Amino acid sequence: MLNSMNRKVSIVIFLLSTLYLFYSYQIEPSPFAKIDADIMPKGLGYLLLILSVLLFIENKEETEQEKAKRSLTKQEVGLLLLIVLFVLGYILLLEIIGFIIMTILFLTATSRLLGYTKWIRMLIIFVIFTLVIYFSFNELLGLSLPSGILPF
Amino acid sequence: MEVIDNILNGFAVALSWQNIFFVFIGVLSGTVIGMLPGLGPISAIAIMIPLSYGMEPASALILMAGVYYGAIFGGSTSSILLNAPGVSGTVATSFDGYPLAKQGKAGKALAIAAISSFGGGTISVFALMLVAPMMASFATQFGPTEYFALMFLGLSAISSLSEGSTIKALISAVIGLMIASVGRDLLTGTARFTFGSVNLLDGIDFLVIALGLFALAEVTNLVLTRNKENKSKESEVGSLRITKQEAKEISGPIARHSILGFIIGVLPGAGATISSFLSYITEKRISKNPESFGKGNIKGLAAPEASNNAATSGAFVPLLTLGIPGSGTTAVLLGALLVAGVTPGPLLMQEEPNVFWGVIASMYLGNIFLLILNLPLIPLIAKILYIPKRLLISLVIIFCLIGVYGISFNTFDLYLLLGFGVLGYVMRLLSFPAAPLILAFILGGMMETSFRQALIISKGDYLTFVQSPVSAVLIAVSVLSLLLPIFKSKMKKS
Repeated sequence: MLNSMNRKVSIVIFLLSTLYLFYSYQIEPSPFAKIDADIMPKGLGYLLLILSVLLFIENKEETEQEKAKRSLTKQEVGLLLLIVLFVLGYILLLEIIGFIIMTILFLTATSRLLGYTKWIRMLIIFVIFTLVIYFSFNELLGLSLPSGILPF
Repeated sequence: MEVIDNILNGFAVALSWQNIFFVFIGVLSGTVIGMLPGLGPISAIAIMIPLSYGMEPASALILMAGVYYGAIFGGSTSSILLNAPGVSGTVATSFDGYPLAKQGKAGKALAIAAISSFGGGTISVFALMLVAPMMASFATQFGPTEYFALMFLGLSAISSLSEGSTIKALISAVIGLMIASVGRDLLTGTARFTFGSVNLLDGIDFLVIALGLFALAEVTNLVLTRNKENKSKESEVGSLRITKQEAKEISGPIARHSILGFIIGVLPGAGATISSFLSYITEKRISKNPESFGKGNIKGLAAPEASNNAATSGAFVPLLTLGIPGSGTTAVLLGALLVAGVTPGPLLMQEEPNVFWGVIASMYLGNIFLLILNLPLIPLIAKILYIPKRLLISLVIIFCLIGVYGISFNTFDLYLLLGFGVLGYVMRLLSFPAAPLILAFILGGMMETSFRQALIISKGDYLTFVQSPVSAVLIAVSVLSLLLPIFKSKMKKS
């Protein structure tokens, strides 16, 4: 019954809509509103519920092209996950270590991971790029990016 | 003549030295970003938004508009040189553009594309100038009921027109509306779906969603294709010269498809992609030798190029006059405007004529810049295609992160951004279109407000949406557009 991808997805969306509906019923009523804040969420929740059922019934066969999008080697999945981890690390440390160091680190680590090998060229580009961005944000736009452990 | 005064006023705004500079920066960066396969106009606009922080509203809009049509233009270059359209609106360009490049006539193809785009852009800006004021004055009579119906039409049109399953597109749209419902309710102030988090009280910023769903999700594409560097034998551009005979030949298609493209651009849901395909097919159908199409016919190149640029200008009509975007890209553009402090709508023309006419006038200038930039500089600009992808990927990720960090200086938004990046990628894997989601998200707040206002006025009577003739027609058209795919599949079977 759950042989097709679309059906599996429709179950997930069904669960999602019930969860959303559950929270829509928790919205506190406002004493002054004639048409209250919960009307649209409830409507949307039921609409998504109906659509998930329709997707289940429709059960359209995926085209080869659609299926091909999901054929990734383990290596590539691992690579994508590593990049996600790098981004997480960047976000986590951005305000502690600071923009300049973290950005240069991130750019270098990611490009190395992806297989770029020209070290010196890469470092020059990234250092210049980071400094240009940092100073143009801080000086031209007046938005201060975190300096972190660096004194400027 | 009020119109002429307005236009002159607009040119005065557009021709100030700083706005000339912003048009230039806009079209240049749009061209460059649009040229990179994988990064389209949505990503281009989203990536450029942080630059517009703190700018004058007119300048910000001029910059973003430049990025928008620049990106469509840049897409053509990679379509012709690499057969790798950077933008879906330029897929049809590759049908005859790439064969020309293979025959060693890349320069000629690029020149024809540049001239056709210029023609399409210029003719349609003229049309925009004529149509927009009429539309705005008509729309001033709209109440919440009509507005709701109009937005409903926009959403259903983009859902029924997107590729693949309509149900999936509708699910995308509903999820977009759901994300829009996070935060403090606009009318009562009640907190919804914030789960006690202060960070969610003001809702989710649209830039987080736009950059996550589009730019970050597209990065994965670049990662998977990183080993295929954009090198091809056709990198020799060759002569840009066009003969008199050829110029004469393409003038017909340019004129026809500028108008067709503009009209399609105005319609909600349709845009550069549909208009360019439609133009290509039409030109092939009326041609005396249709079999030469796809093998390097210059008419087959001129038609979609004039059309996609005209459609981009057409898309500004509903955006500026109604405040309603008709596509994912214009939705992001609307978000950019809101960031700059401009609320587009029927009153924009009266209240901020400088912004309205300044932008329109800047489009003339932008088209000229595109022509100048692209004709002599094409061989130079095309070098951008040879930036190693391995370097580009990490730079694009950093751009997204800084762009989002620059709005709130809050790392919470960065986690959200990453989350939406993953969501965008998963949606891609499962063939859910992302454009309905972003459009629904942008329209969500306005849609809900007008929906509830209309109900408050009618004292809770839902029939109000079919009692006003304008909204009844709009809703009928929306329902028809949603049913269209069902009829189509029935017809195919029988």
